[in-house]
This record gives sequence, C-alpha cells and structure tokens, in this order.
Amino acid sequence: MEETRKLFHKDLSEVHQELVRVAAGIVESIPRCTTILLEQDLTGAETMILADDDVDRRTHELEQRCIQILALQAPVASDLRQVVAALKMCAELERSADLVVNICKAARRIYGHDFDPRLRGLVVKMSEQARQLFSEATSSYATGDAARAAAIDDMDAFLDDLQRQFIQAVLESHSAGRIDLQVAIQLAVVARFYERLGDHAVNIGEKVRFEITGWLPEHSGADRFRQRRTEGTTSHPAGGESS
Amino acid sequence: MMDTRVTVKTQDGVEGMDANNATEAAPVFRTRDLAVYYGDFRAVRDVDIEIRGQDITAFIGPSGCGKSTVLRCFDRMNDLIPSARVEGTVEYHGIDLYGKDVDAVEVRRRVGMVFQKPNPFPKSIYDNLAFGPRLNGIKKKAELDEIVESSLKRAALWDEVKDRLKASAMGLSGGQQQRLCIARCIAVKPDVILMDEPCSALDPIATARIEDLMQEIKQDFTIIIVTHNMQQAARVSDRTAFFTTEVNPESDRRTGVLVEFDDTQKIFSNPGDDRTEAYVTGRFG
Repeated sequence: MEETRKLFHKDLSEVHQELVRVAAGIVESIPRCTTILLEQDLTGAETMILADDDVDRRTHELEQRCIQILALQAPVASDLRQVVAALKMCAELERSADLVVNICKAARRIYGHDFDPRLRGLVVKMSEQARQLFSEATSSYATGDAARAAAIDDMDAFLDDLQRQFIQAVLESHSAGRIDLQVAIQLAVVARFYERLGDHAVNIGEKVRFEITGWLPEHSGADRFRQRRTEGTTSHPAGGESS
Repeated sequence: MMDTRVTVKTQDGVEGMDANNATEAAPVFRTRDLAVYYGDFRAVRDVDIEIRGQDITAFIGPSGCGKSTVLRCFDRMNDLIPSARVEGTVEYHGIDLYGKDVDAVEVRRRVGMVFQKPNPFPKSIYDNLAFGPRLNGIKKKAELDEIVESSLKRAALWDEVKDRLKASAMGLSGGQQQRLCIARCIAVKPDVILMDEPCSALDPIATARIEDLMQEIKQDFTIIIVTHNMQQAARVSDRTAFFTTEVNPESDRRTGVLVEFDDTQKIFSNPGDDRTEAYVTGRFG
C-alpha cells in the first residue's frame, strides 16, 4: 500500500517549514536587537520595528492555514498534533518577535544615556543565553527532537539567574549615581524581555514534545491543584505559586 | 429495563448467568486466539479482544483485514458459510459461544445485526417490527402494538411513519429503511447490536441520524460497528480496534490481524502502534 493524502501531508510539511523559517528569523534578531541597544543604533531600531509587521503577517497566514487544515482535512494522530502544535507555535513566535521589538523601543528611550561596562557585559550574556535557548527550540522543532526540546527548560534557569544578577547590578549602578532612574527602569524592563524570550523558547520546546509524543505540559501543576482540591485546601486558588 | 439474562441450553438442562449481576469489568465478549478460515484460507488470526458492555466499539482497517469476519463470529453468522471454520474461543458473558450445546438461533436473538444494505422484509412497516416478537411467541395485539411503537421511537422513526404503519417498508427512503432495520433489531430486545458498515449506503444526513441514534441507544445495548469511515469511528465510538493485513511470505496470501485496541480518543490522537498511525493518517509504510 502506498501513501495517500499526499497533498495534505505536503501542506502540513510546508506549514512546518515556514514556522522553522519564522523561528530562525527570531533567533537571528535577538543578537541584532542587542547590538542596536548597546550601540544606540536608531536606524537599526526603526528597521527592526517595521520588520515585525512581516512576522505578524506570516504567523497570521500560518494560523489561517492551520484552521483551514482542521476544517477541511480533519487531521488525526500525529497530523492532528502537528497542526495543534503549529497553531500554538504561531502565538509563541508572534509574541517573541514583539519582545525583540520592545528591546529596540527601549533602545530609543535610553538614547544618549550611557551605562557602565558591567551592565553592558550582562546584557550581552542575557542576549546570548536567550538566543541559544531560542536556537535550541527552533532546532528541536525543525528536527522533531523531543529529548532536545525537553532539555530547554533546564537551560532557562541560567537566563533567569542572569536576569536577577542584572537587576541587582542596575540597582547598584543607580545607587552609585552612574545611571539615572529613567535608564535604570528601562534596563530592568529590557532584562525582563530577554527573560521572557527564554520562557517562550521553553514553551516552544513543550510544543515540540507534544507534537512528537503527545505529552502535555503543566501536568504537575494540574495534579497539585487536584490534590489540594481533594484535600479541601484550595482556599486561595489565585495565591498559589505557578510553575 | 431490558432483560439481559443469558441462558444457554446445555445437556444437563439450562445454565444461566445474569449479565446484570456480572461485575462491571466483565466483558460482553472475550476472544482468545481467534482465527477464522474459509476452506484452507486463513482470513484472520490471533485475535484477542474484550468488548465491554454499554460501549460502542468500532472496528476499522483496510479491506480484507478481517474486521467483518471477526464481527460475524459474535453472532455465529460465519456458521452460515459452509467453508468457514472458527478456531480459538469466543466467550459471551463468560460462556463459550461455539460450545457444542449452544443454540446459534438463540445467540442471534441476543446478538442482533444491521447490515450495510438496508434489508427490510417486503412486508408492512408494522409487520417488519412485529416479525421477531411474533417468532418469540408474542401474539397479543396490544403487546405487539406497544413493541412496534416503542421500537420505532427508540430508532427515531416513529414520527415519520406512525401514520402509515401498514404501508410497505420498501417505500421508505434508504436512511429510513436502515433505521427500520435498527428498530426491528431493537424489537426483540437484544443484548448486543452488531453493525456492518451501516451507513455506507446512506447520504450524510441519514448517516448523522444513525450516528445520533447509536448514541441514544448505547445505554441499553452493546454496539460493535465495522466502518470504512474513520471519521465515523472517531465520532461515534468509545473504543476502536484497528485491524490490518499481513502477507504470509510462504503462501503470499493475506491474513487479517488485530493491531491495536484502545480508547478511540487515544487511537486518533496518539496511537501506540506505528501501523495504526500510518493507517489513520493515510501514511502507509
């Protein structure tokens, strides 16, 4: 017996490839926005901000294509997981590209203000770590490597740690009078953007795991919630720590 | 509540087992090492399957995979094919269905069947419904009237035919005829309803009505459906069995095998076997 539904499967693989291209573009844009921030490149910032519209267009088209596949092809099994993962990936990528834009916008706001080498060094480190996480997520998606995708979560801890170090350094720099409050706040927000990029990379890793194995994230949190509910201790549903 | 008491005549008299008292986990059917031959051709082999009560179980797979053959073991329809031979065991509520003292006619009273092509008797709608109950010795008109009405209502056909019960069943549309066949099946209060491609001759709306009907009656009957339409299996069934064919390298002949049997949701979202995956997604190896 030979393969049937060839056109449908071709459609699926095109969606996959386009998502890889969009994700790879974001991987490249992370060090670029960092350079713009550090070199105070206003023209570069403008270009990056405009380029985001293209990411929006592409993810929007991909979403429409996925909805069309769901409506017309009624995919099942791995095909279904692929479409569901792709739909969720679209949201992750679109938001990640926005974060890169946000860093460029922050670059415009702190234009003309200098900050010390220690902070610059930490920005480069955060940027590199975020890029690496995103690159791993993209590669694991491109190759369908669930084990590699699962490892991204652990790598993210390092970026979280860098962000905390950076905030501490920003506070110290401000106390010492090297940067004013406006710049300190902008830098703290920038650190948050890098950290969020890492979180989106982790989420993409989860989508890859779902696509390949059917595994769904947040099992542990859901299990804890059910446990607490059985024990009757869910008095503060919103107050619990999220995972 | 229908009577699900199972009695099987034995040499010593009557041996009974009350299906209502059976433990929840006890399957309606259990096969072990089931194989069916047509002459010296082995159509299907090594089928071990347990069919739970009040479930809709779907059998899917490519042509020649043995799904209809296995289905026909459950009401001993294969007995009617002279060359057919069944090996292994088929248990019905724990009783060997092919035991030498089991009456095949009694089996078919408990296990009804609906076929691909609607096959009403060339009689009136009423007589189609009353046929089985009359055979079972019910003669009172009031009682027959009640059975005809309730069966047609269960099969969602009553409102369409209540004013022409004396008209020929052959005048009904294909979808109505198929629902009539289901009603006729229900009229003798079976325990199990087997359906062999019940919708493949019907249009989508008639198909949807049969599918709705299956959901409505599943509380009272164990349903097993053979279907070529995978989306239908996904829509209606609780459990799905996937069969495929394997080529015997010595004889170059194909034999059906059961590949995977699991919750329908699992089969269509994350099947355990690569062959199931390949079949449901249309990617054959």
